[in-house]
Amino acid sequence: MSTENNQYVSEFTAFQHNGAAKSPAWVNDIRTSALAQFTEKGFPTTKEENWKYTNITPIAKSQFKYSSAAEEISADLIQSLMIDGVDQHVIVFINGHRSKEHSSLSGLNDNVVVTNLIDAYASHGTLIRQHLSKYAKMHESPFTALNTAFLNDGLFIHVPAGTYVEKPIHVLFISAEKPGEQTAAHIRNLIVVEEGARVNFLHSFCSAEKNANLTNVVTEIVAGKNSVVELVKVQKESESSYHVEDLHVHQHRESTVHIFSLAVGSAIARNDMSVIIDGESTECNLNGLYITSGEQLIDHHTFMHHIHPNCPSHELFKGILMDKSRAVFNGKVYVEPEAQKTDSKQTNRNLLLSDDAIVDTKPELEIFADDVKCTHGAAVGGMNETHSFYLKTRGITNESARGILTVGFAAEATQKIAHSALRHHVDLIVVDHLRKKFGTANLPDIVHA
Amino acid sequence: MIEIKNLHASVNGKEILKGINLTVNAGEVHAIMGPNGSGKSTLAQVLSGHPAYQVTQGEVLFEGENLLDMEPEKRAHAGVFLAFQYPVEIPGVSNSYFLKAGLNEIRKSRGQEELDSMQFLKLLKEKMKVVEMDPSFINRPVNEGFSGGEKKRNEILQMAVLEPKLAILDETDSGLDIDALKIVSSGVNKLKSPKNATIVVTHYQRLLNYIVPDVVHVLVNGRIVKSGGKDLAMELEANGYDFIREEMLQNA
Repeated sequence: MSTENNQYVSEFTAFQHNGAAKSPAWVNDIRTSALAQFTEKGFPTTKEENWKYTNITPIAKSQFKYSSAAEEISADLIQSLMIDGVDQHVIVFINGHRSKEHSSLSGLNDNVVVTNLIDAYASHGTLIRQHLSKYAKMHESPFTALNTAFLNDGLFIHVPAGTYVEKPIHVLFISAEKPGEQTAAHIRNLIVVEEGARVNFLHSFCSAEKNANLTNVVTEIVAGKNSVVELVKVQKESESSYHVEDLHVHQHRESTVHIFSLAVGSAIARNDMSVIIDGESTECNLNGLYITSGEQLIDHHTFMHHIHPNCPSHELFKGILMDKSRAVFNGKVYVEPEAQKTDSKQTNRNLLLSDDAIVDTKPELEIFADDVKCTHGAAVGGMNETHSFYLKTRGITNESARGILTVGFAAEATQKIAHSALRHHVDLIVVDHLRKKFGTANLPDIVHA
Repeated sequence: MIEIKNLHASVNGKEILKGINLTVNAGEVHAIMGPNGSGKSTLAQVLSGHPAYQVTQGEVLFEGENLLDMEPEKRAHAGVFLAFQYPVEIPGVSNSYFLKAGLNEIRKSRGQEELDSMQFLKLLKEKMKVVEMDPSFINRPVNEGFSGGEKKRNEILQMAVLEPKLAILDETDSGLDIDALKIVSSGVNKLKSPKNATIVVTHYQRLLNYIVPDVVHVLVNGRIVKSGGKDLAMELEANGYDFIREEMLQNA
C-alpha cells in the first residue's frame, strides 16, 4: 500500500465511527470491502491499459479532505445555472450533500421520488439494496472503489412504471471550496426508471468558485422495459479541479436511452460510460462533445455491451482541442455471440486548433456474433481549408471563420440531444465557453436544421 | 475592371494555367468555356485566392490594384465574388448570421456603418425575392440539407447581398433543372449593371441562352485559344470542342 492511500484509510476509519455515515449496516459492509479493494490496488498508473493515456498523478498526490457538510452558496449561482425558459424540477447537491434550501421539487408527479440516498433508505431500502453497487464494479476502477468506500450520500430517483415526467429533472452538483482545503466529494447516484416510464435528466457539475477539489462520482441507472430515458451531463467545473465519473446504465428490453456528455471543465476529467443492453430490441444513443484548452485533459471511455439480438447503438463523440490540451477517447463495443442483428455505429471526430494539442483515440471492437453491422471511425484534423476559404471569399476574416466553423463542428454533436430545451441549454453553454476561449463575443449562436 | 496578364498557376507542382490573358471591363459579361480539365475552375479559384494554387508567373490587376497580393477576404472587400461550383455546408450556423458577418466585414472595410439585425433582415428579405427563396432559409444552417438547386440559389443570394463589382460564376448551371436554371439566371441578370462585371465559367452553352455574354473565350489546356461574340458559344454547342482542337492543329 502506498503512502498516498494512508490518508484515505485514516479518514475512512474516522468516517465509519464518527457518525458521518448515515446508511444502514449492509452498506457498511460494502464500504469496508471497497476500502480493502482500494488499498490493495491504489490509484491507477499509466502502466494499466485502461489508464494508459491519462496520468492521474496530480490526483494521487493531492491531500483531499472528505467533505462532511454542504458549504454555503448563493441563490444567484443556482439561478445562473438553470435551464433557460422552461419549468424544471431542481435538486441541488453541494460537495455531495443535498441542499434542501436550494432545491425546488414542487409540481413533481406524486409517485416520483427525487431525493437523496440517506433519506431514501427508510422508504426505499429494499429497492436500493436490489440495485446499489450492482452495476458499478469496485474492482474495475480504483476511483469506484474509493467512491464506494465513502458511499454515503448522493442522488436517488425512482420513477414508477408508466409515469411520464413532463418537465426535465435538473440535478445540480456544486463543488464549493472550504477555505484552506482541497475537498473530495464522493457522490453516489442511483436512478431507477421502471417499465414504460419516460424522463429526461440534466446533471450539471459546476464549481462555486475557482477551486482544486475532487469530484468523484458513481452513477447507476436502471432503465426498465420499454422506458425512454435521457441523461444529459454538463461538466464545467473549475479548470483547476479534478473530476471522475463512473456511469453505468443497465437497459432492459425495448428501452431507449439517450446519453449526452458535454465536458469542458476540470484540469483532469475522466468519464467512464458503460451501457449494458440487456434485452431484445433495445436502443442506446451515446454521444458527447469535449472542448479542451490550456493544459486540460479530458478522457471518455465508453463501453457498449450487446448481449441480445436486434439492438441498435449509436455513438458520436466530437472534440475541440486548443493550446496544449489533451483528450482521450476509447470506445469499446462488445457483441456477445447471442447478439445477432446488432447495428452498432461509433464515430469519434477531433478538431485540433493548435499544433501542441494531442488526442488519443482508440476504438475497440470485440464481435462474437456473425450477422451484425458494426462500424467505427475516428478522425483527427485541423480546420478544413476548403470550408475556411468559402467563408473568407464572403469577406469574413480568418479569425471569424475559425470561430464560425468551430461552432458548426460542435453543433453536429449537440443536435443529438433529444430534448429541445436541454439541447438549447447545452448549445448556449458551448457557445459561451467558445466565446471565452476565442476571446471574442463575435461568434454565432448554434442553430440546428 | 480586371486585367489578367500571362497568368500561370499550378497545383501540387502541376501547371494548370499556362499564360492566361484576359481583360474584362465594367458592364461586360464574359463567358469562359472549355472542356473538362482545361483550367476553367482553376482560373476562378486563383482569382478568389484559394491557398491550394500557386501562381508562378504573371499578374492580375483589379481596378489597378495587385489582386494576387491580397488575402481572399481582402479580395471580397475589394469587390470580387466567387459563386462556388460546390458550395460548402456549415452545420450549426444560420444562413443569416453567415451573410450578415460577411456583409458587415465588407461594409467595415469600405468605411460604411455596419447593419444591425433589423436593418440586415430587411435587406435580406428584399434580396431573397431576387432568387425566389423561401424565407424559412434565413434561419437554416448554411447549405445544410439544401438540394443542389437551393445551394446554387443561395450562392446568388449571397451575391445579391454582398453586391460585388466582379462576380465569377463557377459552373453555376451544373446540376440545375431548367426551372432552377431560369431562376438563378434571372437573379444574375437582375443584378447586372453598367458598374459591375460578370465572368461566367461553364462547360455547356445552354446557360448562355439565359445569361447572354458580350464575349466568349475558349479555354483549352490552360490557355485561351479563341475569343469571339456570343455566336462562338453556339458554334461550340453544334460542333463540340474538337473543332477548336482541329483548328489549333491546322494552325500549328
